[in-house]
Amino acid sequence: MIELQHIFKWYPAGGSRVYVLQDINLNIEAGAFVSIMGPSGSGKSTLLNIIGMLDLPSEGSYRFLEQSVYDMKEKHRVELYKKHIGFVFQSYHLIDELTVYENIETPLLYQNVKSAERKAMVSDMLDRFNIVGKKDLFPAQLSGGQQQLVGIIRALIARPKLILADEPTGNLNSAQGEEIMNLFQKLNEEDKVTIVQVTHSEKNAAYGSRIVNLLDGRIQHIPQTVHS
Amino acid sequence: MFRNYFITAWRNLRKNKTFSILNILGLAIGLSCFLLIVLYVVDELSFDRFHEKADRIYRVHTDVRFGGSDLRLTVASDPMGATLKNDYPQVEAYTRIYNSNGPKLIKKGDQYITEEDVTHADSTFFDVFTFPAIAGNTKTALNEPNTVVITESAAQKYFGTTNALGKVIEAEHVPYKVTAVIKDMPHNSHFRFDFLFSMDNVEYQWGNFLSNNFQTYIVLKKGTDYKAFEKNFKQVIQKYLIPQAKQFMEINSMEEFEKAGNKLHYSLMPLTRIHLYSDRFPEFRPNGNIQYVYIFSAVALFVLMVACINFMNLSTARSANRAKEVGIRKVLGTERKALITQFLVESTVMVLIAMLIALVIAVLVLPFFNDVAAKDLSIRDLLNAPALSMLIPLPFVVGILAGMYPALFLSRFKPIVVLKGNSNSHFKKSSLRSALVVFQFVTSIVLVIGTIVVYSQLHYIQTKNLGFDKDQVLIIDGANALQQNVQAFKNEVLNLKGVSSGTYSAFLPVSSARNDVSIFKTPVIDVKSGLDMQRWTVDYDYIKTLGMQIVRGRNFSREFGSDSLSTIINETTAQLFGYDDPIGKKLYGFDDLNKPVAYEIIGVVKNFHFESLRQNIGPMCMMLGNSDYTASFKVHSGDIQKLVGSVEQIWRKMAPGMPFNYRFMDDAFDELYRSEQRVGKVAISFAILTIVIACLGLFGLVTYAAEQRVKEIGIRKVLGATIANIVNLLSRDLLKLVLIALVIASPVAWWAMHKWLEDFAYRIDINWWVFIAAGGTAILIALATVSVQAIKAARTNPVQNLRSE
Ligand SMILES: Nc1ncnc2c1ncn2[C@@H]1O[C@H](COP(=O)(O)OP(=O)(O)OP(=O)(O)O)[C@@H](O)[C@H]1O
Ligand SMILES: [Mg+2]
Repeated sequence: MIELQHIFKWYPAGGSRVYVLQDINLNIEAGAFVSIMGPSGSGKSTLLNIIGMLDLPSEGSYRFLEQSVYDMKEKHRVELYKKHIGFVFQSYHLIDELTVYENIETPLLYQNVKSAERKAMVSDMLDRFNIVGKKDLFPAQLSGGQQQLVGIIRALIARPKLILADEPTGNLNSAQGEEIMNLFQKLNEEDKVTIVQVTHSEKNAAYGSRIVNLLDGRIQHIPQTVHS
Repeated sequence: MFRNYFITAWRNLRKNKTFSILNILGLAIGLSCFLLIVLYVVDELSFDRFHEKADRIYRVHTDVRFGGSDLRLTVASDPMGATLKNDYPQVEAYTRIYNSNGPKLIKKGDQYITEEDVTHADSTFFDVFTFPAIAGNTKTALNEPNTVVITESAAQKYFGTTNALGKVIEAEHVPYKVTAVIKDMPHNSHFRFDFLFSMDNVEYQWGNFLSNNFQTYIVLKKGTDYKAFEKNFKQVIQKYLIPQAKQFMEINSMEEFEKAGNKLHYSLMPLTRIHLYSDRFPEFRPNGNIQYVYIFSAVALFVLMVACINFMNLSTARSANRAKEVGIRKVLGTERKALITQFLVESTVMVLIAMLIALVIAVLVLPFFNDVAAKDLSIRDLLNAPALSMLIPLPFVVGILAGMYPALFLSRFKPIVVLKGNSNSHFKKSSLRSALVVFQFVTSIVLVIGTIVVYSQLHYIQTKNLGFDKDQVLIIDGANALQQNVQAFKNEVLNLKGVSSGTYSAFLPVSSARNDVSIFKTPVIDVKSGLDMQRWTVDYDYIKTLGMQIVRGRNFSREFGSDSLSTIINETTAQLFGYDDPIGKKLYGFDDLNKPVAYEIIGVVKNFHFESLRQNIGPMCMMLGNSDYTASFKVHSGDIQKLVGSVEQIWRKMAPGMPFNYRFMDDAFDELYRSEQRVGKVAISFAILTIVIACLGLFGLVTYAAEQRVKEIGIRKVLGATIANIVNLLSRDLLKLVLIALVIASPVAWWAMHKWLEDFAYRIDINWWVFIAAGGTAILIALATVSVQAIKAARTNPVQNLRSE
């Protein structure tokens, strides 16, 4: 599903370059559950953004569903994106002016889902995560954890094939975190949704089927044992 | 302290370049419009104020209705001035101007030049008016016959020196001695003459109270109420007019005259009001119009307001960016008052910069503006006390006006709210800002609708069937200079290829040569059967050359020897006299020597517009006769210039040394609507400017909207929004405002333009498509402006925007 080859990302810094990612080669098959780990500043978010087509590498090639992303027209890319990818941000990025309900509904709007269907899908999600009572509140009226949850629901609502999550449980309590991880696992196993998550927690990483370790922008090839 | 304010102000200007440029540019355009219009208005209001006695000089106006139509005249009868002075001690002086003879041929070397700015004037001219002399004594200059007072430039033109005292000027073959040279008359005078000839050289049937041919000015003694003085005219009529009128017709008293639906009324108009308020006939030069002074002033104020609103909107929109600064300053202990002062200083600095740019723009645009407004304004005209006392405070007034709201708005921020970063909510929904944007677009749309209506009416005038054919008619003025060659000239021109017919008559539907006479239905000259109408002297080929149509009877014809006592009337005359078939009926009037004559009606000409389309078509009749001042030829040549060249050659041969003055009838026709064309051009210029300013504002607003919502845009893009979605998101609200503006502007514009059109007896209906077109234009322009910025915002990489957290 995802093939990254010789991906480099650098920022110019006073004449020289600061490398954030160096020669990343990574294949992720459909149905995988990958956890990206590494110390702060090692380039995890950058890599995830590149996978999510939110950012461009400085160099390298990227094939998504057998198609070369960088040869595609912008419009096509947006289409692919809309259809297949759900993104969960490290810092939630909810729209301040919209209510919880409206925030969750937004991706459906852009996919031209009918109003009645939209309503059913959103209500279903609100139910499932027990936040029906909060649906008319604005993001500023929620706790950090609740905001994170809304961000995740928003990523899931359109039933994407690929979920990219940047520290999805960073602001949740351990019970909530576990719930999310269980959900991810269920989605992965039952619905064959591909999941790539960035995490600092070994425990959360263990939910996945594979761990990618980043250090100073490079993938570390330390043999690892994965316990499921 | 103030130094600190100025430094922050300057840094802020430089830091927010787009904002500053948009703001200053909008203000500068608004201010330059304002400056130009102030120039124009100051000039219009200054007319005739330079005379020492300006506030005591009045012109005697006459209103006559005899039969059908009203005559509103600027002239009075020749004995009126002297009578008033003799009978009423309140009258300190009087003087008359007589220029019914029109232009004069003046000899220079062996050439003759047609001089338009000539008149005969009473010797008391300089007792009433103030025109400084360069040489000679104006007090006595016109006491003798064959004397003339000329201006500096006339003296230069004819003698190459201003030292022209005692020299002789030959006008219409009569010698006049120059007895004084005066400075050129100022441009803001309702008359401008270069030659003032002695009144004693006018041939006239003096002493006639019933003919009105003299512009008569009186000076009232200090403290006289002119309105009260006007009551005396009743007495004048009773004492002098009625006895004279009895000699001509059965009339015993004014009451009887008025009972028959007639009117005779005199009034006084203050000299200083003539230029802006007189809508009478005849005038020496086209007058101004107080309505246009009001319209222009209103437009200037509106444009300035639109620019100020930009300023307010952009400043408050920027509030989010300034909010943090305000918060920190407050935490540091700055008082609100000090903050307000700071913002006001900032806005004033900006207005001052805008003012400088506005001055530059005004200077650059002035020639164009002069052209459009038919003025000769100079930016130096602003360098007088009244103008300066208005202009120097202007930047401060505008600065405070435009800066006050943003200052109050920004200084109100609470530090905690601001520093927590929730200030966004301040920006988003500001109903005041929305109202202001609506106001801007209401102004723009009203102007656009106004422009469309003015141009539609002009187009209508241009293409309306006038009852005569104004195209391809060559007019030659001063043809009487041909003397015995008049007929030979016509024949030779007719022989040229491309000339189909020709006629002699000074009376043309496009010129101001007019002849008002009273015509009666019965041989008994009584008040009830009379009708005031135009009596035009024409020749056999007149109707053919001008493409008029005979709807009944026949044209004048050489085959009928007796046509000298025949007349052709227009449809209005037939209708007013109540004739279904007027052919063969008789009309009664007086000939040039005031002897009664009867004319037989031989034809009816289809009504044609001999006045501007502002008026209805009045009654008129045509008689055969010699009126050889003007020749008109119907031409149909591909190369008109070559044809004119050939005509000129014939002229040179037959009238050696005489000036060849030609024009085309369609140009002369256009001349009648100069003021409307001017209004059209002014409306279009200001409409464009207002829209430009309003769009600068919109551009700024959408820029800030995008800046404020940068994060939201990023998130939405990540959630799958297309560029179109984002553009829609950013522009929808602003476009909604433009739509609201259209709804408000339409009735306002309809009402205003309806009023304007009421001046025309013949006019267009205001069509619904005008509103659609104006609204469409506004929306398109607004959309274009908004989407440039919105697309830019929508295209940015979302990650960059989201990073900024
Ligand atoms: N615009 C930029 N200019 C320069 N350096 C940048 C820029 N954006 C990111 N970086 C650098 O790239 C590196 C990787 O950043 P990234 O956000 O990917 O880290 P991360 O691994 O997600 O860290 P964390 O665990 O704290 O989220 C960091 O060192 C950061 O300073
Ligand atoms: Mg990160």
